[in-house]
Amino acid sequence: MPQDPLQQTYDAVVVGSGATGGWAAKQLAEAGLKVALLEAGRAVSPKEFTEHMPAYKLKYRDHSPEIARTRPVQKQCYACMEYNYEWFVNDLENPYSTPAGKPFTWQRLRILGGRSLVWGRQSYRLSDNDFKAASRDGYGDDWPISYADLAPYYDIVEKYVGITGAAEGNEMLPDGQFLPPMKMSCGEILMRERVKAKFGHTVTIGRAAVLTQNHNGRLGCHYCGPCERGCSTFSYFSSPFTTVKDAVASGNCTLITNAVVSHVNMDNSTNKANGVTYVDRLTRQVKEVRGKSVILCAQAMESTRILLNSSTREYPNGLANSSGALGHYLMDHVVGGGASGRLPELKATPDANEPQRPNGIYVPRFRNTPSSKKAPGFIRGYGFQGGADIDFNLRSEGYGASYKRAVKEGVYGISLGAFGESLARWDNYVEIDSSLKDAWGIPALRIVMTHGDNEAALMQDASATAAEMLEASGAKDIRVQANVEMPGMAIHELGTARMGTDAKKSVLNPFNQTHDVKNVFVMDGASFVSSACQNPTLTMMAITVRACSNLIERFRKSEV
Amino acid sequence: MKRRELLRAGVFAGAAAATLRPSVAAAQNAGPAKSELTPAGMGVDASQDLAAPGWRPLFLDEHQNETLIVLSDLMIPATETLGAKAALANRYIDLVLAAEKPDVQAAFLNSLGYLDGESMRRYKAAFRYLPREQQDDLLQSMAYPREGSGWTGEAATADPGHTHFEYLKQRIAGAYYSSEIGQRELGWDGAFAHGPYKGCEHSQGAEGDHK
Repeated sequence: MPQDPLQQTYDAVVVGSGATGGWAAKQLAEAGLKVALLEAGRAVSPKEFTEHMPAYKLKYRDHSPEIARTRPVQKQCYACMEYNYEWFVNDLENPYSTPAGKPFTWQRLRILGGRSLVWGRQSYRLSDNDFKAASRDGYGDDWPISYADLAPYYDIVEKYVGITGAAEGNEMLPDGQFLPPMKMSCGEILMRERVKAKFGHTVTIGRAAVLTQNHNGRLGCHYCGPCERGCSTFSYFSSPFTTVKDAVASGNCTLITNAVVSHVNMDNSTNKANGVTYVDRLTRQVKEVRGKSVILCAQAMESTRILLNSSTREYPNGLANSSGALGHYLMDHVVGGGASGRLPELKATPDANEPQRPNGIYVPRFRNTPSSKKAPGFIRGYGFQGGADIDFNLRSEGYGASYKRAVKEGVYGISLGAFGESLARWDNYVEIDSSLKDAWGIPALRIVMTHGDNEAALMQDASATAAEMLEASGAKDIRVQANVEMPGMAIHELGTARMGTDAKKSVLNPFNQTHDVKNVFVMDGASFVSSACQNPTLTMMAITVRACSNLIERFRKSEV
Repeated sequence: MKRRELLRAGVFAGAAAATLRPSVAAAQNAGPAKSELTPAGMGVDASQDLAAPGWRPLFLDEHQNETLIVLSDLMIPATETLGAKAALANRYIDLVLAAEKPDVQAAFLNSLGYLDGESMRRYKAAFRYLPREQQDDLLQSMAYPREGSGWTGEAATADPGHTHFEYLKQRIAGAYYSSEIGQRELGWDGAFAHGPYKGCEHSQGAEGDHK
């Protein structure tokens, strides 16, 4: 008869089953540790994937009023669709507050795998230009780790996940362990050649967690297109069908779904955590899971929320918050700058039966690099994502039979959109809103964040450089965008439990262990010291694997 | 509209579940309650809903609906392929409008009303009752933006007729090209995947299809 999962004491209780929680569970369970993996949402089955369902089978063809009613925040995410909106949190059950005039969009999932089910899959390494940026330009703090510390773990993650990409030898974007790159379109090749010739900037194919060949028991991509609706062949990386599957298969991991963790439980006599308390999502029963260590991988702000909700007499302002830094230095890449146009010199007609490449192009950061001059008016920089492709032109002029023909003649579009570094600032923070609780009675967050002058200057510059690169590529009818979108729109929330060597200024040590409570860890994006401008999930996973390797060693030495 | 939004049909979703080890598959198939799946996630096919016998508009009145049918047939007519009328573009637009906010509903009725207003002003009859020739004349006058005069130096002025025309056209085009008939018009073969992606297959400057 199977043991009651709540009657055991696990070596590690991992909270969150997304990109980082999946890795933590896999690493620890495969090393022989007994792991409880808690997920706030339900299990997920490939039977509910809809990537091959045409829009005309949807009642509202992706305009369902149910999304607007239950997910007014989540629908701001491109991936929250009539196909899959139940994967996203119900905003009515999961409130948070923001001050007047400071909106923040918090887009999140509660389901096995979390946002790894719908993520954009772009996967880029950071370099020492990012980890040690403060030493270079004097702003903020260096990370307590360097590229050399993390590089072996990038290797481990990339080899397992399968990252398609092309090596470029770029000083800002270290190369990795790549599967064969996806191909570029004619317009993208044209842009790559002309931009390199005129500006010296690199235009490369996107580096993405999508398989271009069979890999680790998963099939190569069949190019159907909409990965965010699930992938029947598991060709893109999502944790339920990779890391979580491995963890459970090891025999050492107990998966507990529908476990909405409210707080970490402390033994104040030893200053150690002894597990977590959760509310059963369906029954509302309060339960406890006991563990020798607690590892939070719940998403940057959710992990911090759990710590803030775990106050004790010894830690009145949140667990592991003797520094006062818990909740502070919230970051999210700034977006809204870029340009788009059309490439009239390319003669092509759109094809409804063209393979859909789930990837675009990438322009690594070229501002404020070791080999470039200091850019006037801002520090740090941005990278571009974009693409060029022929498409049907529903914006054709006129009407009638001639319009039908013109739609099929198509238009060759080209675009670049920037992701800029979000500077770490004390006054961007989260705290508990004492007047607001979620549907499970757990105190909710108040999120206070604005992008500043540097972020605005980045987007202004990005709009100009994007337009110049498009023009050099031969684009016409160029439209420029120099907006600063509201924080949260990049869905790259980082910080709020930063790592550092000084326990008075940071929450975590360089191995993601809280300075204050030696058996509590935060192994997700909360640990970031700066945001860089690259999509962060690959780095989060590498940090998790590094931290777990250290933790496994310490278990072996009986230090936990 | 991106092609990835003009989507592909599916047949093998779920087949890969068999590759999971039983213990994991059991955990993952322990199963959400039906209420926690979207209709799409449950495999509901709503593509025939609009063709149901006895269909009645939810939002539009009879005159507005008939006007929309006539307009959609002119905007995207049957040619060698079926047009917006056969694709029931009016019914889809009505369904979506019924669930829209009041300002969006009002904007649509305002544009449809503008069309009838111009029709009444010029021809003393509502648009749907005009002979085909006059319907075309009216649409032709709205289909292209009014430009300034190079002779007199007159600047281009706001052109509400063209704005209303484009709004109605984009609504109809969105309804048409998201239907199965519209997808077939674009040449879709009914398969959900056509990989692998080959990228650019010619050298620079060469003739041919510059994909």
